[in-house]
Amino acid sequence: MSVKVEKQFQVSAFFTFFLIHSSQTGIGILNFQSQVIKDAEQDAWISLIITWVITHIILYIIFKLLDGETNDLVAVHQYCFGKTAGSIMSVLALVYFWLASLTVLRAYIEVIQIWVYPTIKTWQLCFIFGLTFYYIISSGFRSLTGFSFWGVILPAFLFFLIYFPLKHMNYINLLPAFSHSLTELFLSSKAYALLFLGFEWILMYYPFIRSSNNKDISKWAHLGNMYTFIIYLVITLVSFLYFNQDVLKHLPWPTLMMVKVVMFSFLERFEYIFVFIWLLVIISPICISLWVCTRIAKRTFSIPPKATLLFLLIAEMIASVNFREFRSTDYLIHFTANAGIGFVYVYLPLLLIIKWIKNHFMKNRLNKGF
Amino acid sequence: MIKEKKNQNPAEIVKRAKKSSDFKEIKKNVSGVKIFISCFTSLIDHKTMEQVFLPYINECEKKTDQAFDINQFKNSIPLEEVMTTQDAKEIEEKLHKGFVLITFENTSEDWLLVNVSNLSKGIRETNETENEYSVTGPKLGFVESLDTNILLLRSKLKSPLVTTEELTLGTLSKTRVAIVYLDGITNEKHIETVKKRLAKIDFDIIWDTSALDEIIRDNSHTPFPLYLSTERLDRICYTLSLGQVVIFSDGSPSAISGPSTLLDFFISPEDYYYNWIVGSFFRLIRIFAIIFSIFSSSLYVAVVTFHYEVVPADLLGPLIESRANVPFPPVMEVLFLEMTIELLREAGARLPTKVGQTLGIVGGIVIGQAAVMAALTSNILLIVVALSALASFTTPTMSMSNTIRLLRFPFIIMSSLLGGLGIMLGFAVILCHLFKLKSFETPYMVPLYPFRRNNFKDSFIRSPYSVINKRPDYLRAKDTIKYSSKEKNKKKEDINDE
Repeated sequence: MSVKVEKQFQVSAFFTFFLIHSSQTGIGILNFQSQVIKDAEQDAWISLIITWVITHIILYIIFKLLDGETNDLVAVHQYCFGKTAGSIMSVLALVYFWLASLTVLRAYIEVIQIWVYPTIKTWQLCFIFGLTFYYIISSGFRSLTGFSFWGVILPAFLFFLIYFPLKHMNYINLLPAFSHSLTELFLSSKAYALLFLGFEWILMYYPFIRSSNNKDISKWAHLGNMYTFIIYLVITLVSFLYFNQDVLKHLPWPTLMMVKVVMFSFLERFEYIFVFIWLLVIISPICISLWVCTRIAKRTFSIPPKATLLFLLIAEMIASVNFREFRSTDYLIHFTANAGIGFVYVYLPLLLIIKWIKNHFMKNRLNKGF
Repeated sequence: MIKEKKNQNPAEIVKRAKKSSDFKEIKKNVSGVKIFISCFTSLIDHKTMEQVFLPYINECEKKTDQAFDINQFKNSIPLEEVMTTQDAKEIEEKLHKGFVLITFENTSEDWLLVNVSNLSKGIRETNETENEYSVTGPKLGFVESLDTNILLLRSKLKSPLVTTEELTLGTLSKTRVAIVYLDGITNEKHIETVKKRLAKIDFDIIWDTSALDEIIRDNSHTPFPLYLSTERLDRICYTLSLGQVVIFSDGSPSAISGPSTLLDFFISPEDYYYNWIVGSFFRLIRIFAIIFSIFSSSLYVAVVTFHYEVVPADLLGPLIESRANVPFPPVMEVLFLEMTIELLREAGARLPTKVGQTLGIVGGIVIGQAAVMAALTSNILLIVVALSALASFTTPTMSMSNTIRLLRFPFIIMSSLLGGLGIMLGFAVILCHLFKLKSFETPYMVPLYPFRRNNFKDSFIRSPYSVINKRPDYLRAKDTIKYSSKEKNKKKEDINDE
């Protein structure tokens, strides 16, 4: 049942760090503040820590799922549910992964339309993005990994831009600390969960990582998750320090608003450049999730990946053209977030329990047989 | 493809050769045996022929007392390479290499071949590295003769490890192609790959070694050169010492070496002749120049067409002023000027040196100035385009410099369509394309991706010799250490410490 991938297609375990981190950072980092501040208000950073810890546990669960013979999601599904039911579950997962890719793309298109080109048609952007993504995804997992690596390294300098909003920060905004109930904290941490989604794709690309042992991969994966957390924590704190809470509640793109204050002697309106460089960041989540979709289709039904890719990309483009209003994109983000939270934080632990039960029965059957 | 006839009769070969006007046959009589001496007169060395070979035959003709013996005759010819053979194919080959064929009537089945060739006739003897010039360091370049090139190489690297393997390629040209590597250092996998690729070639004429690049490359659809093609001796010695495989071919003044990586093309041998701080500085300047050269004109288009907001108000004034009278959209303006520069460059490359220089000055200054006066382009753009053209010349290898010339245009088109987003999309596609490329089955983007931390010591900067004493790991050399780099005095120096 386990999948063997040829060595020439594999990447080393070190890249798990970048794969995990780059699939987590997408569009959410630009606008999460207004969502997370609703319930926990200035204590939202505690919620972030909660989500982060839970995500580490889920990562642990994922590696337990991938342990042994079943080294990708399709294999796990077939092991737990049998051939037919397993395939249905895999297709559901495929739909969710596709939705994730669609959400990032649609949200990014919206950012471009709001911030840079107010008059550009959605289909024009979709067309050109579609061509680019087809080229990038069809060059294979190794290139995608390279992309996720450089998609983390190259935009890393943007991080230093926090210097500009920090010049205008106000400590009072974070006080009083620890003044919210657990329910409020958990509601906020649910809002944070969207930001961490994406790491679950390792369920499919796990066989493509070359390593002598499972531990090495999981070490890098956890480190990647930790790095994501650190970035989110800094951005959360900076935006809380910079903005007034009431403003933050109604601000659609707070991170981009913060970038607006960046000014150099030769450059103004830095958010333009920020949005463009952000393309390098969002390419990884869009492309890796679509690649994962093609992989699922290949593993379950042996459909050639290029055919799946073409079909999914066209479907994605048609879907994104049809989200015409700001509201509908918002709805899409909410829907995907809920689906993702359901899939990652509820379904995956359940799947592990099912796998354990199945393991138990299999062992018993084997014992009886001999 | 030309089919080689098997089992040819030697007489047929002579018959076929006789069709050529430069094929001559003379009849002689040695010890009562009739012999025919034939050769291509254009290929032989006339001095050897007239002063050594023919006098000897004439002498033989005079001696009539002895009985004729082919072995004795063969051994007494006062020339270096004499052989007997019955293989028709070999005879044909050797005839075309300037050997003299001697046949004996009725006496022997064997045919005698004597080497009086002069294949270096008409080939220049020295090459100053005109196309890859350097201020310091040796200016010795390769010439069109394979033997001279190997000699140059061997005189620089006198180590017994230098190994050459020769093969003949090209159905029409029958070019001698040599693979050179360091035995015991270069990984066998690379040598095997090169040999396999070369053996698979079915091509008529090997024009130049750099043309082999396209024939043996891993990915055929890419504007990037996958093998380092150079005419510099020191560069080839350096790549050999790292553990790369070098290919020479007869009749070509350039050699290619691989597996190469993207960063190899931005390294100049000069970096190693200056001290490491200066060398690193030059290398950084070069890499900045390349980025500037690729992106500057497309950035201009993007900013002027879409994002004038990013320009601070003080800077915007001069920009608007300079463009006020220009009737075209920025992309037309840029394409017009870029085309002018490309025309100048291409014309300069085709014209004789002296005329080219004059044309460069006339074209560059007069046309540029006139274009601005006529309000066809803006002043600022003229500066941008001229600087980017200048910057593209800093690339130390010709092939990569051409690629950079080419890359500018897709970026200009993309930026005119989508502004900054177009540039980023183009950049993403190029990046992805680079990740896919391979040179002799080694990733092209090493050490950038796959990430090799150790190899950064000699990539963007040139670290001190004591640090870069190891061969890069992506070449998987069998002996990884180039030289030992023990610090001479380990004691830490303090102020005025005696």
